[in-house]
Amino acid sequence: MGLADRNRPRQILGAIAGGVVGMAAMSIAFALLEVETRYEVGIFAGIARFVMLPGNLLFGFLVFVAFGAVVWPLLFVLFEDRIPGGPDPARRGLVFATLLWVLFALTGSGEVTGATLLIYGSLTLVGHLAYGFILGAVYGRIRPDFSVSEVRESREVP
Amino acid sequence: MWGYLLGLAGVVLALVAAGLAVRRASSSRPMADGGFLTGRGTSYGKAFGVARWLTTLDHKDIGLLYIVFGVVAGLWGGIDAMMIRTELVTPPADVWDVETYNELFTTHGITMLFLFVTPVFTGIANYFVPLLVGADDMAFPRINAIAFWLLPPSLLFIRAGLVTEVLAKVLQAGGLVVEALFALEPPAIGWTMYTPMSIEVGNPQVDVFLLGLHLSGVATTMGAINLVVTVFTERAEDVEWADLDIFSWAIVTMSGLILFAFPILGSTLVMLLLDRNFGTTFFLSPGGGPLLYQHLFWFFGHPEVYIIVLPAFGLISLILPKFVGRRLFGFTFVVYSTLAIGVLSFGVWAHHMFTTGIDPRIRASFMAVSVAIAVPSAVKVFNWLATLWYGRIRLTAPVIFLLGGISIFIVGGVTGVFLASIPVDLLVHGTYYVVGHFHLILMGIIPFTMFAASYYWFPLLTGRMYNRRLARVQAVVTIVGGFVAFLPMMVLGMEGLPRRYAQYPPGFTFLNQVSTLGAYLIGAGVVVWLYNVAQSLRVGPRVEDADVWDLKETDQFSREWQWFERRLEERRGELEGDD
Ligand code: HEM
Ligand SMILES: [Cu+2]
Repeated sequence: MGLADRNRPRQILGAIAGGVVGMAAMSIAFALLEVETRYEVGIFAGIARFVMLPGNLLFGFLVFVAFGAVVWPLLFVLFEDRIPGGPDPARRGLVFATLLWVLFALTGSGEVTGATLLIYGSLTLVGHLAYGFILGAVYGRIRPDFSVSEVRESREVP
Repeated sequence: MWGYLLGLAGVVLALVAAGLAVRRASSSRPMADGGFLTGRGTSYGKAFGVARWLTTLDHKDIGLLYIVFGVVAGLWGGIDAMMIRTELVTPPADVWDVETYNELFTTHGITMLFLFVTPVFTGIANYFVPLLVGADDMAFPRINAIAFWLLPPSLLFIRAGLVTEVLAKVLQAGGLVVEALFALEPPAIGWTMYTPMSIEVGNPQVDVFLLGLHLSGVATTMGAINLVVTVFTERAEDVEWADLDIFSWAIVTMSGLILFAFPILGSTLVMLLLDRNFGTTFFLSPGGGPLLYQHLFWFFGHPEVYIIVLPAFGLISLILPKFVGRRLFGFTFVVYSTLAIGVLSFGVWAHHMFTTGIDPRIRASFMAVSVAIAVPSAVKVFNWLATLWYGRIRLTAPVIFLLGGISIFIVGGVTGVFLASIPVDLLVHGTYYVVGHFHLILMGIIPFTMFAASYYWFPLLTGRMYNRRLARVQAVVTIVGGFVAFLPMMVLGMEGLPRRYAQYPPGFTFLNQVSTLGAYLIGAGVVVWLYNVAQSLRVGPRVEDADVWDLKETDQFSREWQWFERRLEERRGELEGDD
């Protein structure tokens, strides 16, 4: 699939839609997490570090949302064929998001140490997985040249 | 502030309107004028829209709403549990402060008992009891809907501290500071809300919380009345009491217990609210004193334990035989033991009060009844084991969960008999022994049977099959997690570690870390379950033959599956166009 593919616009649209929905879900989850953990986990600070804007929580968060809604989905469309887990884009989304999470954990965890790291790591991982899954699932639904039944048939029937 | 609220209301209205439009556009069938058309609603092929879910009176839709609500609450309460266990990885209170820790175990306990277990079981009952007894719907469909819709506000009330804080932060980011929203701190009074502490705490959120709890009690009671009346009056012609299936028996008993227990909780909560806000002295000396509170609370609280555990027993008794190819051994004894537990459970409340200095003669008699209540539970276990004997056991995910659940339950039950004896209770009361004991029972029986039921009925609920290998992996991970999480607690308790503390002496570190590992394993299992459900809903293979579990072979193709078969036939007919 080259860039000249006539399905490209719909695909990009689908991916961005997926990114927006996935990002919404993840942001709500992170906001709840932040308050629930009484700001101990410092997720928004982590996000700010992740996007290389430590110290500016609000702007950092906005950049984060922009990345999640636009940049990652575009990357996802570009490299889709090479991400393992296909043909189902939702499973590819999971793999993709795990990679993103590794990046996030490396750059974002900053001062988080000890036991806090446990809950920080696991909850952000689950958040990323949810993001990736939603990104892929919505994308698969909107993309014109893909049908869920294709995936369905490729699964072993129990 | 009002602008925001208006905006919110606008969004909700727009959603409703959109949903209505979708529904209008896609329903070709004429609608009755406000009446309820029995048999109209089915889970498949119905118009999708927000309005459908907001206005539905169909017992199956409402059942699903209950289940989804309960799962969300359960995940929330589960995250509380993970946070508790994270704090306990190291001896000092270094992850969260002590106050946050107290809030965590309070919200965890309350959420799990009132907003997770009860709604999920009510939801399963809503979906399946009418199918199992051959009723068209619940006896009072509208009350059914109202009972459900009281729950979301009660969740908001109970956990308002958090929700209002998020709202406050969001508004603050938008430049609007609303002090009132910051005033509500999550309560930290424990799920038993013992007086005098619960009266003295200033935090206004405690009042909101008590109101929310009261509301959830009202909802639960309405649901219970509906279930009782449905089973009594709506059974099909050919369903005699003697033919009533084991799950419906459990649900009737559970509902009966609710009818007697929840009004007491409600009254107690009202008295507590009066004490807090109007200076009455129901639970203060020289009024009734804290002991009166404990009597009232546990007269509700102990039956509550059985309210949440009886449906789980019912699910085991229903599902286990299907995968063993044999009838449930001693059906009538299982029914009688259910009823016996129901009656006895009101007579043991003071075993929660052995250490309070109540009259020793009362204490001794409560010890006797508490030991006696183990008998009907043991009867059930023996009947399950006898059902397995000589059976052809098929190790599907539901069965793995049930076997794991029964084993954990046996450990939990035996430790409970010890607790019922006064000398042992005096030693371990208020230690992790108690926490280990009741979690072995609660975890082993309740979420495990819920998972088992979710897999067993998944094809019927969704028309699709789940990923079986993943389901088995989840079952094994969760069972291992259950043992790893809760067995160390028994040892910790026997060594004297008191419960409800954020810090502990370093000597207890290792076992606490093992326990936390187990909790994370359970959490991982839940994530796998969520993935399996979501993915199977999208791409799971469609079920063509209603006899997914080969139940016809052993003559166990029960009513709900027969209903499913008719549904599949109808759908096939519609697809072929000869409707
Ligand atoms: C992953 C599973 C779970 C874990 C790791 C867990 C862990 C804990 C811990 C560590 C406590 C605090 C004990 C203390 O400080 O004394 C606790 C309390 C409690 N849990 Fe759980 N729990 C789990 C599941 C459940 C379930 C399924 C239920 C109910 C159906 C439940 C009901 C309760 C109750 C009622 C309390 C007492 C709260 C209080 O002391 O006020 N838990 N749990
Ligand atoms: Cu009890």
